Amino acid sequence: MNGFFKQGSGNLKRLEAGGGEQAVTMSADIIEGFLCPICMKDLGTVSQLQGHFEEEHSSEDKAVFQSLKGFFDKAKKRILGDKLETELTPGGEPAKREELGGLSGYDPSWWEEQELGAIRSHTDTFKSVRDARVDHFVVETNKLLIRLDKLLSPEAPADPKKRKAFERAVVQWIPDNEVSACLSCGRSFGLLTRRHHCRLCGRIMCDRCSEFMASSYAHKLVNPGHNFSGEGFLKRSSSNTSINSLVSQDGESHMRVCKTCRKLLERRDVMTEQRNTKPAIVQIYDKMKMCISDAEQILPDYLPMVDSLSQGETVHNFRQALIMRTKLVKLYEAVDQLSKKIMLLPVPSDTNSRQLHLQKSIRIYASNFMQENLMGLQALPTEEEYNKLREARAAEIQRKIAAERQAAMDAQERERRERLARDSQSGNALSAEEGPQFGHRRVGSSGGSEQSKRKLIANKILNSAGSKSHTRSDSEGGVGTDKGWKPVEESTRAQKVSDPMLQQMEIIKGYIKQARQAQRMDEVVMLEQNLKELTAEYTRQKQQESS
Amino acid sequence: MNVILAVKQYISKMIEGCGGGMKVLLMDKETTSIVSMVYAQSEILQKEVYLFERIDTAGRETMKHLNCIAFLRPTKENVDLLAQELRMPKYGLYFIYFSNVISKQDIKVLAEADDQEVVREVQEFYGDYIAVNPHLFSLNLVGCCQNFSWFPPVLSRTIQGLTSVLLSLKKCPMIRYQNSSEMARRLADSVRQVISKEAALFEFRKTDVPPVLLILDRRDDAVTPLLNQWTYQAMVHELLSINNNRINLSTVPGISKDLQEVVLSAEHDEFYANNMYMNFGEIGSNIKELMEEFQKKSKSHAKVESIADMKAFVENYPQFKKMSGTVSKHVTIVGELSRLVGAHLLLEVSETEQEIACHGDHSPLLQRIRALLASDKVRHIDMLRLVMLYALRYESHSNNDVSGLVDALRQKGLSAEHRAMVQSILDYGGKKARGSDLFGNQDAVAITKRLLKGLKGVENVYTQHKPLLFTILDQLIKGKLKEASYPYLGTGQLKDRPQDIIVFIIGGCTYEEALAVHNFNRMMPGVRIVLGGTTLHNSKSFLQEVSTAVGSGGSAGQNMRMGRQ
Ligand SMILES: [Zn+2]
Ligand SMILES: [Zn+2]
Ligand SMILES: [Zn+2]
Repeated sequence: MNGFFKQGSGNLKRLEAGGGEQAVTMSADIIEGFLCPICMKDLGTVSQLQGHFEEEHSSEDKAVFQSLKGFFDKAKKRILGDKLETELTPGGEPAKREELGGLSGYDPSWWEEQELGAIRSHTDTFKSVRDARVDHFVVETNKLLIRLDKLLSPEAPADPKKRKAFERAVVQWIPDNEVSACLSCGRSFGLLTRRHHCRLCGRIMCDRCSEFMASSYAHKLVNPGHNFSGEGFLKRSSSNTSINSLVSQDGESHMRVCKTCRKLLERRDVMTEQRNTKPAIVQIYDKMKMCISDAEQILPDYLPMVDSLSQGETVHNFRQALIMRTKLVKLYEAVDQLSKKIMLLPVPSDTNSRQLHLQKSIRIYASNFMQENLMGLQALPTEEEYNKLREARAAEIQRKIAAERQAAMDAQERERRERLARDSQSGNALSAEEGPQFGHRRVGSSGGSEQSKRKLIANKILNSAGSKSHTRSDSEGGVGTDKGWKPVEESTRAQKVSDPMLQQMEIIKGYIKQARQAQRMDEVVMLEQNLKELTAEYTRQKQQESS
Repeated sequence: MNVILAVKQYISKMIEGCGGGMKVLLMDKETTSIVSMVYAQSEILQKEVYLFERIDTAGRETMKHLNCIAFLRPTKENVDLLAQELRMPKYGLYFIYFSNVISKQDIKVLAEADDQEVVREVQEFYGDYIAVNPHLFSLNLVGCCQNFSWFPPVLSRTIQGLTSVLLSLKKCPMIRYQNSSEMARRLADSVRQVISKEAALFEFRKTDVPPVLLILDRRDDAVTPLLNQWTYQAMVHELLSINNNRINLSTVPGISKDLQEVVLSAEHDEFYANNMYMNFGEIGSNIKELMEEFQKKSKSHAKVESIADMKAFVENYPQFKKMSGTVSKHVTIVGELSRLVGAHLLLEVSETEQEIACHGDHSPLLQRIRALLASDKVRHIDMLRLVMLYALRYESHSNNDVSGLVDALRQKGLSAEHRAMVQSILDYGGKKARGSDLFGNQDAVAITKRLLKGLKGVENVYTQHKPLLFTILDQLIKGKLKEASYPYLGTGQLKDRPQDIIVFIIGGCTYEEALAVHNFNRMMPGVRIVLGGTTLHNSKSFLQEVSTAVGSGGSAGQNMRMGRQ
């Protein structure tokens, strides 16, 4: 009872005993059996292990031993009164309980189907509040961008004096005398604190509250195609708190703007960036998802083909299946490689990187997908195997048809003999008026069982040809040909004729029709051949009779 | 009426609503527990949710290529954190789901933070409780009252939890409550207030028989949480403690690293699902069967020769893999349970507990208790609960010897604090505390016992006890539950026998009660019962509950380090 499996294979953890040292190892070979948790000896079966345990270790670890062997027996007797058991599981053995329900011991049929619980959306309220705000931003930002575009125009004068006049023409500056303190920090202006104007909105602020936008960044804002890298705004440090020159060391010119304008412009920039850039991981991921969805489209067509082909049927073309298989293999390889690529993308070096975790998770997602779907690939026989399967199946059908024909002829022969015997008994010649009626009744009685036996044989042939269950349950409910196909007896017409041979021919005609509808061309061919032979035989007999 | 499914459907809907692409699930501490009870991480992974983050984790990485599903309780703290997040978004788009009703003001705060227009959805999905089993939920609140009245934050959390259960199951119930309990009346009233305030939310298709919400108080049955348990789930909780489906096995002698913490989820562990309500004895033989089956399968794996073999194997593979994990886990748990049973004479202790709860013979029982208190193997917590049970049962017996037993506890080395629990349990669940209307001058246990005899005739030593809840539900289903003791709130009254019942126990429910409810659901077609409690108790957490309730500040409970040895 206390034995544990030592079970290993490529990707199964090896589980070892509860006592002593623990090891979870990967091992390529398969070892199986029950390990003694104390001496690690491998015992073949549970009972052997129990025996071994009792003999070797009963004194060593009494607590474990007792609890496991003795206790169960004792407790079972004491805890489990027979009556209690029936109370817990009315009308059944405890083992049958699992039939009662799925997990959690709850059978879905006990309770009605459950719809999604109540929900309430605030999205509209949220959006109306946000949009009112954002609309204002958008209007303001657009205004700023139009002005910025003008300020950046190549016709703008470079001469500082003319430049200033130009700037004031584009943006109306608030007159100095209207503002006595910085609109941003509230410090009053004076000799030490001078007034500055935001070049984009014209408002007044102090130097400390000014922001300096790089002109290349400004160009990028009005034209997203503009090449830009680096900082959009000057970093303020103690050394440049009183920047007067708007040209930094690297020769880049800067524009003085207020904090509000900076915020609006940066917000626009972030959103444009977000819309226009696709990081490597997203690009690879999208490709990977595309492969997965392609594979998911092929699978429902491919799996039934494999089923059918591995039974030797010729409904589907082997080459076509092979092509699909190759496609799938390629897609899986792509998924494998893309997911590996994602996993190996460089990440920031901090040890607790979530990005790395994300990349690993995507890899797990991809391998789960492949694990689930790989078996369809393995199941397709090789061409050689397939030819053998096909031949075997054809031979089998031929054999059965031959056997059936033989049975039909035997039955006919029997009937003929019986008729002869009857005729000689009653001394009557074949009487025309009672013939059909009589024959009809006979079909209903003893002849009927003959007939149903024949049908049974024909059914068996066709059923054995029908495909078994599908490899993937969700591919069920596909097109008609995917389903196992089984002819339905069309007995009415067959029963109207009395000659067993004719009956047989009618039955087969009915089957051919059905097989055509189900697009089982192999069956059609074979049944037609069978019908031809029967017809030939029947004609031969008739000719013989009439001669 | 399946709470697991209700929460699971909410989560699935959230993920679906987020569309394709890489996703991150952003949660708080509580919603993390809520989600982990219904979904396995691997299950969510297959829906392209690759990261799980806590909103209160500082310095999360910015990953704009992920879309974010935020599932959060509507607390002030969360609203603040989320507003902060929206001002500097770390992820591409946000789909926000609150687990309960959120105020218009909070929506405004969030909307004003979303300058970058990253939010796509803001909705309320009422998964605001811990779904433990399809018919069982908890709010994970230990210690709901102080000096026998509601601790306000716990009351408001309880109202939120209970109303979210109703909303997630789409039930607008008639409310009944235990008349003897002021706390039950107050909760019932508060729930009704929410229902009338949010009347539009609670408008569901009318059913022929309206659902019933029955609110009870743990103080009416302080016996059940004190008993040792013998069905698998209840026993594991009693002896090893289940915390959001997790069991800490790190103190088990010689435990392997990967088994130090194991998950017992009936949703994802078939063996557990099939055995959680089984008696301990049965589980041993079921594990043996499982191992043999496993061995059989591993053998067939060894000789995979034909396509059919391979197919069969691969088809079985996920199951097979699951099983290999299952075997070692359950063998370990059952092994540890039996070790504890043997080491601490739990069979004898339990038999005595059951005798106290169900029979009346005072003097032989007193002898047995004294004998167990003298043993060196019996754990202190078991000694204490024996004396507590005795005190409850023989509170007014003429030869009552509680003081003698408490003295015996002292001699065994139990601290004054622990010994004081004997008086505390009487204050908490003694005669005065119980609904006298229901019992008249009889004890709850006597009623239970009589009922049990009437039903079965045969008694089993370890599972004689039936919780009071069994009797109450039995009467409720038959339409015989007295209105004087369990009045309706408001004027309405149920004319027919109830079909959909949600029963909630203030002060926590137990797995023994969950099993009783499970059996009702199984054996009474047409009746659907969901059980919930402020928490799911074992005896240890119950002692904590009691000591908080009597006003000793919970220190005794928290210091109750008398568990496994
Ligand atoms: Zn050994
Ligand atoms: Zn300023
Ligand atoms: Zn400005």
